[in-house]
Amino acid sequence: MKILFVSVAFIISLLFPWEAFGLDAGDKAPLFEGVSTQGVIRLSDYLGKKVVVLAFYFKDFTSG
Amino acid sequence: MKAFQEDLSKFESLNAQVLGISPDDVETHKRFSKELGLQFPLIADTDQKIRKLYKPGRVTFVIDQNGVIRFIQEGMPRNKALLEEIKKLEKKPQ
Repeated sequence: MKILFVSVAFIISLLFPWEAFGLDAGDKAPLFEGVSTQGVIRLSDYLGKKVVVLAFYFKDFTSG
Repeated sequence: MKAFQEDLSKFESLNAQVLGISPDDVETHKRFSKELGLQFPLIADTDQKIRKLYKPGRVTFVIDQNGVIRFIQEGMPRNKALLEEIKKLEKKPQ
């Protein structure tokens, strides 16, 4: 039974790696740097200054 | 992204910086920003390097001033819930 559970968990982790190993509330946000419409943005620039709302979306000129 | 712009002053009043991010390039982002009148930055994650660090899909992260993820919202952003979460952070000592 235990082997079955471990196997299922392993398969889920392969299919949905972000579910198994992904980020959760309470985790440290990965530092990033990227080019934006307002110059280079670094997460580190906001630390100690502002809360950051980082909104991932799929494509410009679509809803949302 | 339009909804973020509509509520931008509410986010700003809570000392929060909104950052939009998608795989579009900067030129496309600029046209999109102009069309919608977006005043917050859009990051061009063209090689999806940043997305890979975070999570796939339509997802919004609230990151506090210590760089800790405090709230993850999957699906279309719901500003009301995001603003509530940011308000909660204010009450907790940093």
